[in-house]
Amino acid sequence: MPKRKLDPMPSAAFEILLALTGDDLHGYAIMRQVAAQTNGRVRLGPGTLYGSIQTLLEGKLIEEVDRREEARPGPERRRYYRLTAAGRKRLRFEAERLADLLRVARAKKVLRGEYV
Amino acid sequence: MSEKLYAWPLRLYPANFRKEYGEEALQLVRDCQRDDKGFLLRLRFWLNLLADLAISLPREYRRVQPEALGPRAALGPDGSPSFRSLPYAPPRFGALFFGGVLSLIMLSSIPRLIAHMGNGRPPGVPGPWASPAQASNPQGAGGGLAVTAGEAPKLDAAERQRVVEAVAANLKKYYVDRDMATKMAVALSAHQKAGEYDTLTEGPAFAELLTKQIREVSHDLHLEVIYSQRPLPDRPAGPSPERMAFYRRAMQESNCTFEKVEILPHRIGYLKLNSFPEPSVCGPTAKAAMARLNGAEAIIFDLRDNRGAYPDMVMLLAAYLFDHPEFFYNPRENTIERSWTRSPVPGNRLADKPAYVLTSARTFSGAEHFSYGLKMLKRATLVGEKTGGATDVGVFHRLDDHFGMGIRETRVINPYREPDWAVVGVEPNVKVKAADALTTAEALASRVTSSLEK
Repeated sequence: MPKRKLDPMPSAAFEILLALTGDDLHGYAIMRQVAAQTNGRVRLGPGTLYGSIQTLLEGKLIEEVDRREEARPGPERRRYYRLTAAGRKRLRFEAERLADLLRVARAKKVLRGEYV
Repeated sequence: MSEKLYAWPLRLYPANFRKEYGEEALQLVRDCQRDDKGFLLRLRFWLNLLADLAISLPREYRRVQPEALGPRAALGPDGSPSFRSLPYAPPRFGALFFGGVLSLIMLSSIPRLIAHMGNGRPPGVPGPWASPAQASNPQGAGGGLAVTAGEAPKLDAAERQRVVEAVAANLKKYYVDRDMATKMAVALSAHQKAGEYDTLTEGPAFAELLTKQIREVSHDLHLEVIYSQRPLPDRPAGPSPERMAFYRRAMQESNCTFEKVEILPHRIGYLKLNSFPEPSVCGPTAKAAMARLNGAEAIIFDLRDNRGAYPDMVMLLAAYLFDHPEFFYNPRENTIERSWTRSPVPGNRLADKPAYVLTSARTFSGAEHFSYGLKMLKRATLVGEKTGGATDVGVFHRLDDHFGMGIRETRVINPYREPDWAVVGVEPNVKVKAADALTTAEALASRVTSSLEK
């Protein structure tokens, strides 16, 4: 079932994978990172964010990381997420698929680029 | 405060989701509230939350349902169909309340949405919600032919008949060569009798076929039948004061499409011009640009992105390249007097300097007029690609609500023999990719100018 949910990959899931290519992040940091990498265009709300995280966890594209030792004492214990090897592979696959589309768009002059 | 507010809609999510991520989601709202200060940011945050609810709620419920009902509902242990029921729990009061509020918001937004969509319709075409009075207004959109936007009307035999007759009649009445006009009318009638039009129901295809057939007879590429999905106005409207004001403002903002006026190394003047604007608006800009290039030893006109426009500007700029009035062929002009350049231009020193014109497949219309004239007079070297081949349709005649045709009413003899650039385009003297045209022309020009420096 997870496979079906991620194929085709929804843009929120793609953005989250992309956000996790660097450090392990918790939910709020993912949201900030996604906003930053899309110039503020995409702001994931809590429902979409955690819904996508759950789907990605089920698909084993990301995993939860135990970072209790770093957590500050008190109620603010957060869950951190990390890209798995399968997630990284899938991310590259999706990015290549987008790059292919972009090439077609260039060839069809949908995008203004160098005049060929 | 807001986290407490968010706790309410959070209850709408399935129990699993709340248990797993409820605390995290509330934490996220707290974080956002801490970082997003200011009224606008807060407002955007809450709008985002609403949109998020609308999108993610159905998804979360879909996620729960298939697990409970999915494949297992279809097959029992022995392969036979069976049913399972979900544990029954009455909806909570909070969920019902929020469901009610959301429904009210969505229902009340429907009339606004409809009103908003209505604004995008082109004027003159009654939309599906137009009042009967508006739709039957005879001045609206051509009576019975009026259709909703995006849906082309199908041609019927009566309209095909009407268009063919109108083409023949207009040709006989206006075409410069009467014998040829009769020949074309006879040809059309023969094509019609042979049943060639009977299966054509698409306007554009019909117009294209008629154009091809009258050109076959006359070899006149300036004849054209056109189809317009939007009803054609009864009388072609001249430029309205508003439109002229808009044009004037657009020209002021874009420096009259004189994109670059520069002196390149080796004293090569470079002018990148993206249209031939109206001289009464842009004459001063054009003169200032040419004055700036006056000291150059060679001049490059970059017309690779030039879509044409006013023949008068073509003549104005061409005048700088001659020291005496020169006949500059213009198929669109009805009198020959206006086809002579107003040379010499006082104070101008460019009349005998080498000139280069950069062309591309997007060089159109007026820009082709300029390129063709200079090429035929051997006054400039064209560098780049073959030009677009725009047809200039002479005088426009309305045939009916959707069809019209262009007829050249006076024949200005092309001193270089037909065809000119219509349809076929202008071939450059030096054929290179448009992207490489400037480097090539610069190299050609610098050879000339550097020999002068020695």
